[in-house]
Amino acid sequence: MRINFKDINTDFTCKNCGWFVSASMGVSGVVNRNHCPYCLYSRHVDLFEAGDRLCACKALMTPVGVTLKRNKDKYALRGGELMLVHCCTDCGALSINRIAADDDTVSILAAFERGMGSTPQFRQQYQEAGITLLQEPDRSLVETCLYGAAVSLSI
Amino acid sequence: MQTQTTDAKSIGVVYRKTKGRYDVHLCDALIHCTLSAKLWKDFELSSGRVQDVDRKHHDPIAVGDRVAFIPADDGAGLIVEILPRRNALVRTSARPMHGAHAFEQVIAANLGQVVPVFAATNPEPKWRMLDRLLVAAESGGIPSLVVVTKIDLLRGQSTEKDLLVVVERYRQIGYPVVLVSAQTGEGLDDLRQTLAGKTSVLAGKSGVGKSTLLNALDPHLDLAAHSVNPKTGKGRHTTSHLEMYPLTFGGAVIDTPGTREFGIWDLQPERLADCFPEMRSLLGRCQFGLSCTHDDEPGCAIRQAVMAGAVSPHRYQSYLRLKADL
Repeated sequence: MRINFKDINTDFTCKNCGWFVSASMGVSGVVNRNHCPYCLYSRHVDLFEAGDRLCACKALMTPVGVTLKRNKDKYALRGGELMLVHCCTDCGALSINRIAADDDTVSILAAFERGMGSTPQFRQQYQEAGITLLQEPDRSLVETCLYGAAVSLSI
Repeated sequence: MQTQTTDAKSIGVVYRKTKGRYDVHLCDALIHCTLSAKLWKDFELSSGRVQDVDRKHHDPIAVGDRVAFIPADDGAGLIVEILPRRNALVRTSARPMHGAHAFEQVIAANLGQVVPVFAATNPEPKWRMLDRLLVAAESGGIPSLVVVTKIDLLRGQSTEKDLLVVVERYRQIGYPVVLVSAQTGEGLDDLRQTLAGKTSVLAGKSGVGKSTLLNALDPHLDLAAHSVNPKTGKGRHTTSHLEMYPLTFGGAVIDTPGTREFGIWDLQPERLADCFPEMRSLLGRCQFGLSCTHDDEPGCAIRQAVMAGAVSPHRYQSYLRLKADL
């Protein structure tokens, strides 16, 4: 189903933190604004693919960690775009979403640390869904993705 | 169609209408009638409009209406009364210009069934338009029969199974769906059986093959029909007026011009869920009862049914979009 993101990408007020969020692509850098850039919370509104808006759950999705998007280069040891992992607070469904240009980096780091603290049971659940949450050894990679190669917060 | 005479008036059925002229069926003949000035005045007053009612865009008479008319000596007639309608397929008129008021537009009246017609491909089917037509039929208390034409173009293609998934979705709701091909004859016998003995109105976008289908069902109709524009894939609006045709195997069918949009007329948002048969049994079971809008409220029975797979998420999305339009 071809999704016209122009039709569905509208400004909204975050149901978690209450901040107004602009859907302008010039601000976010992404075509489909699917989470709040301040608290990173999302809503469970997509069912089969990003932007279809077919899901009736509509509950809040909490950021539970970060992962790397798999890229086509199978020989790359660590590659791919940094992605947020969301978990629905009602039905437990998982989704992976692109990080927008204006997402709060402190909140992203907090999500990364939340992923490190997830229980083995949850990590198993994510593994079964094909999602590998980044852990402590990946911290410098995460910081590089967020701040660039010249900056390291762990100095 | 049976007719009778009452006080020098005759009663017939409007088979065709063009601007200001109505062809009324009486004893296997068509009488060319016009509207009496009094009837038009009564219509202007009852429509309650502030602006002048524009004769070009407003019409108190629809195809299928039973009317009382006074026959004239020259074979023409004057319509003096519109008999009460059993039901009607109604939509919001297309706005003639930006900012203009929309009004009620009666497509056809006294129907046995509404037949939304969609092509399997060429042009691609718009299922939300189908949902609109079904809601309009449900709102008017008229049964529906869904017809998918040009099925021969999809047989053996990879997209055929996608279409069959959608077809099954509507069948599970309870709507009969017939897959037909005017070229190969597939499904035509089944369709004849479901059209026989009823007055049906065919509705759908231009280019889906309504007139071609009718010609295949009943060759004596010989309606004008053209293929879609090969460059754009869109219909050419060959049929330009509404007309009722009796079918040789019984019943009658109303062919309509291609419909680009179909706004729902005079339906309260709180009644909309009642026009979705699969949601009807769930009404009142929400945490907020009948006040639930089935959008964001917790404990909504309809949203739970969608999550459980009992209601199609596509139909639920159609419901939300229609509600936003009302």
